[in-house]
Amino acid sequence: MQRSETNEVKMTLIQPTRGWIGINFPELWRYRELFFFLVWRDLKVRYKQSILGAGWAIIQPVLTVAIFTVFFGKWAGIPTDDIPQPIFYFSAILPWQLLQSGVSKAGASLVASRNMVTKVYFPRLVVPMAPIIAALLDFGIGFLVLLVIMLFYGIVPTTAMLFLPFFLLLTIITASGVGFWLAGLNVNYRDIGHIIPFLMQLWFFISPIVYSASIVPEEIGPVYRLNPMTAIIQGFRWAITGTGQPSGETLIASVAIALLLLVSGIYYFRRMERTFADVV
Amino acid sequence: MSDSQHIEDVVVSLNAVSVKYTVPIVRFGTFKEYIIRRLQGRVRNREFWALNNINLQIQKGEVFGIVGRNGAGKSTLLKVVSRVLRPSQGSVRVNGRVAPLLELGAAFHPELTGRENVFLNAALLGHSQKDVEEHFESIVDFSEIGDFIDAPLRTYSSGMVARLGFSVATSWDPEILILDEVLAVGDEAFQAKCHARIGEFQAMGATVLLVSHNAHTVRSICHRAAWIDHGELQAVGNPADIVEQYRKAYSE
Repeated sequence: MQRSETNEVKMTLIQPTRGWIGINFPELWRYRELFFFLVWRDLKVRYKQSILGAGWAIIQPVLTVAIFTVFFGKWAGIPTDDIPQPIFYFSAILPWQLLQSGVSKAGASLVASRNMVTKVYFPRLVVPMAPIIAALLDFGIGFLVLLVIMLFYGIVPTTAMLFLPFFLLLTIITASGVGFWLAGLNVNYRDIGHIIPFLMQLWFFISPIVYSASIVPEEIGPVYRLNPMTAIIQGFRWAITGTGQPSGETLIASVAIALLLLVSGIYYFRRMERTFADVV
Repeated sequence: MSDSQHIEDVVVSLNAVSVKYTVPIVRFGTFKEYIIRRLQGRVRNREFWALNNINLQIQKGEVFGIVGRNGAGKSTLLKVVSRVLRPSQGSVRVNGRVAPLLELGAAFHPELTGRENVFLNAALLGHSQKDVEEHFESIVDFSEIGDFIDAPLRTYSSGMVARLGFSVATSWDPEILILDEVLAVGDEAFQAKCHARIGEFQAMGATVLLVSHNAHTVRSICHRAAWIDHGELQAVGNPADIVEQYRKAYSE
């Protein structure tokens, strides 16, 4: 047995906290390995007992796109801005599934990790953050599938593709902000667990996934653009097809709302944190 | 001078620590119910002091036992010292690295193998992967898990899980070890090993804070003990006396 890390005496003062507290970055950094382990655990556990394993990351978006193409594209005849329907849907499904999976799992994460939270001290923010980062693997696999479909349709990436990481980051910020809010709320009100599916369903329809934002009536446009997913999905479509660049004001609204969600989510989470161990 | 010397010897210091739980009289598990009652002005909370004005100093190298009935506040006290809970009032000063053993294998996942769980749990306790690799052999040896280390945890018996958990948590010599009833795990031979390991820590100057219902454990391994009831400190002193007082109080 050896003494790990340092021999220096570390003094900790534990006392009541009041008001709003920000993030303790040095502490988060110290626990980075725990964070990666939680991400890895999420991935490992998810695919461990399924026969198709990571194949689900391909099947899910492909099936979804096939269903959308038949029902929304062919039957309902919803216009897709002259973009081939599978590409139109796929480029929206990618960020959407990242958001949906990230938000749903982050929202349930604290309650699911009750054992850890009530027994050991560690920065709690890593708990809702892990499933969001874990969802990036599915995103990556889905993106490779999309590249194959693009090849099939003869779509050559333009320089707009360089902006894809920006829209990806914006998706992660949005998912984290909402995820932190829901995770914190879920500890105190278990209804949140029931509300999340409805919230996601509503969010799905108010985002331009199965339709183009161009069909949204102009009078509700300003409100419609407050949904950060509007610019994100338009941005993904633009990055992939090179057409339909989101307007400057849509982008600004999206970035502002996403950051507002993130900052407020962190503060709410940190504020509720002190009660987690006895309510969870 | 002698004063500062004294302060350095105190590794855990609880100063007027109180922990308040707010328990709704009628428990509403749902938001709707809460809103309705709130609007009706019928949200009444019962304040419950799990710990009430506790003052306690624990010296370096001490094995300190805490006795009391279920719900007396023993576990709450350990949680405050290990930073899981924050006190509502007062403060706790902790001088050194704390290894909490509130429950063995808190992060264990049934689908992961023993090996994977060791790494995950060690990360939870704040150890780096490199650090765990260095200790891995000794962790597995101590736990007596053998070849099962690469089998999923769900195939383990509860004793095996507990042994692995104890092994992970105690493979780094902590400055302050916190034990909540965990000595009751495994068979007799393993318990003896646990006791021996605690003895080793102590020999290296570690401080041990433990909760036990076993009067024999408290009398045989503790230097001092405290009796807590209804969140209040009843007595502190010689373990044999404390156990005696505690027993008397409930035999009447």
